[in-house]
Amino acid sequence: MELHNYRITAFCTIRGRSIRVNGKEFLGADPSTPLGDFLKLAYRKLAIDYPKFHKMDGLCKAIFIATELIARESGRYKHHTALIFANRSSSYISDARHAHDIFRADNPVASPATFVYTLPNIAMGEISIRHQLQSENVFFIFDRYLPEFLVPYANATLDNQQADASALCGWTEITEGQCDLLLYHIGTSGSQTHSIEYLKRLYNEEDE
Amino acid sequence: MKHDVYIIGDEAISPLGIGSELNFQRLRNNDRAIVPIMDTHLCDHTIYAARIDEGYWSHLINDAPHYTRLERLFILALQRLINRHDIPVDGETLVILSTTKGNVSLLGDPRAAFPEQRARIPAMAAAIGRYFGFENQPIPISNACISGSLAISVARRLLRYGGKYKRAVVVGGDELSKFIVSGFDAFQALADGPCRPFDRDRKGLNLGEAVAGVYLSTVPVAGAVKISGVGSSNDANHISGPSRTGEGLYLSIREAMDEAGDVALDFISAHGTATVYNDEMEAIAFQRCGLSAVPAHSLKGYFGHTLGASGLLETVMAIHSLKNSELVPSAGFAHQGTSQPVNIITQPTQRPLNAFLKTASGFGGCNIATIFQNV
Amino acid sequence: MSELTQELKAKIIAQLNLEDLTVADLDDNTPLFGDGLGLDSIDALELIVMLDKSYGIKLSDPKEGRKVFETIQTMADFIEANRT
Repeated sequence: MELHNYRITAFCTIRGRSIRVNGKEFLGADPSTPLGDFLKLAYRKLAIDYPKFHKMDGLCKAIFIATELIARESGRYKHHTALIFANRSSSYISDARHAHDIFRADNPVASPATFVYTLPNIAMGEISIRHQLQSENVFFIFDRYLPEFLVPYANATLDNQQADASALCGWTEITEGQCDLLLYHIGTSGSQTHSIEYLKRLYNEEDE
Repeated sequence: MKHDVYIIGDEAISPLGIGSELNFQRLRNNDRAIVPIMDTHLCDHTIYAARIDEGYWSHLINDAPHYTRLERLFILALQRLINRHDIPVDGETLVILSTTKGNVSLLGDPRAAFPEQRARIPAMAAAIGRYFGFENQPIPISNACISGSLAISVARRLLRYGGKYKRAVVVGGDELSKFIVSGFDAFQALADGPCRPFDRDRKGLNLGEAVAGVYLSTVPVAGAVKISGVGSSNDANHISGPSRTGEGLYLSIREAMDEAGDVALDFISAHGTATVYNDEMEAIAFQRCGLSAVPAHSLKGYFGHTLGASGLLETVMAIHSLKNSELVPSAGFAHQGTSQPVNIITQPTQRPLNAFLKTASGFGGCNIATIFQNV
Repeated sequence: MSELTQELKAKIIAQLNLEDLTVADLDDNTPLFGDGLGLDSIDALELIVMLDKSYGIKLSDPKEGRKVFETIQTMADFIEANRT
């Protein structure tokens, strides 16, 4: 087996109503704050002008914010930055909304703007547009955070890149009731090694 | 050290039948699965779609009532693949499931026979895993309409770079549901008749359902097909509209061709959904890659768009084209209908075939291109 | 008529999640697509659903939509002429 020397250049967590970047809090809010309001607060605090943000569903908004914050730490993403995401509930927020729209008793009607978000990989499309990433995307669905699978797969993906290894990876479980996101950028510099052990520790440490 | 990865077995279940050989035979007979369906549980008006008949296949698996319809289809495909090739279910076998929406038909539907929890993809994967007692938990991929082709690529990459897996089983599936039909209908993407990929008069897609799979190994056997190049790139342009320049697909094909090296492509199995913009985008990407003259088809006119199964189903059929030295025509095509010409196959043609390109594109701006060739 | 345009502005802002805009920011004759409001193809589909749901008008030809959805004013004119 080859020895990999990829590094974590920056990471972001969203847990409950707290957003942290490289371990430092960016935004905290009362746990009773509705998800939508909380993510809007985060958007305002980013102080960017990106009206499309408001059209996204909760999963996309959370991933958008984390991706924005990581870029501020690790630098502008290279165009070939691979996107490797996983979660448990896929696009459940929008799935439930679309199902409600079409099965409700009075005037059931599908909304195209809801339906388009019933795919988890739309979030990768949104950040690809924002950061101009013309790269490979894959969205895995696991029952739990699974660095045992993600790390070897990310390593194989980075090995496959010709040069300038770069990937944005992580766990993005976002529902109204639960926010459990850990996104990290992998490159060739940074103090922490990209390894199963480190990513387990990171996930647990941030889970206070 | 990089290993070459081969497809050494395949399986397909569609409205045209059970088994990849049978499905290929049905294509040769020009049988098409798309029919008008009036079923208020799917849609309040008639749609043209391809649906798997109920009943005749459920008894082929054990404890059928414990599994949802889609799980039963997945299980049947896996069971046939495992039995035929004697595939071990041990820790060296990677199992990947590709699905766009899984058991989503259970969500919000008062008629659903399973709890809503089963609509979650991990619940489906766990049920399928339990049936076979796989040592490794099945890994689901949900990446819109490129899921099937992407699942092959993911499995290949994990086998290619060594590690714990020696072989992989990759199965993809999706089924018709009100959830999906209503969404595509709201997108005004459904054709009001059988779809016509790449044709001048194309008016949209037909939805279909299927389960299809492949068995991958680093050890070639007689009749193995090598996966010789893969490329995948996002358009970074729009979350639902295909790129006007075909940029992501162009980059994907170029990457796959670079990796495959000096391989002459004998045909292209295109995505070809038969929406105005998708087919136009593909024609532009093929032209930019210098592939306008390569014979091409879309199989959506036979099977409809089978979402997370489509990349796998269409790859499996293309492998049978290689094995049978036969080009399958593109059902529904009569007149060139894209700004750049595509050499659409209109007649069944016998000729030696060595290599083909499979492409897929999907919502979220994702694209993938894979090159397969005889060993 | 101006009541309808006001109503449309509010509906469009709410339905299309145009967070940063208010009714007062929208002019009756600002182009909705392209360089004006910058709406896209999904917004257009959403407007078609809105016409159906709120005004009982079915629009199935996307080409027709392009003209109808040019500005708030053209939408209001179309609704006045077609509503049931």
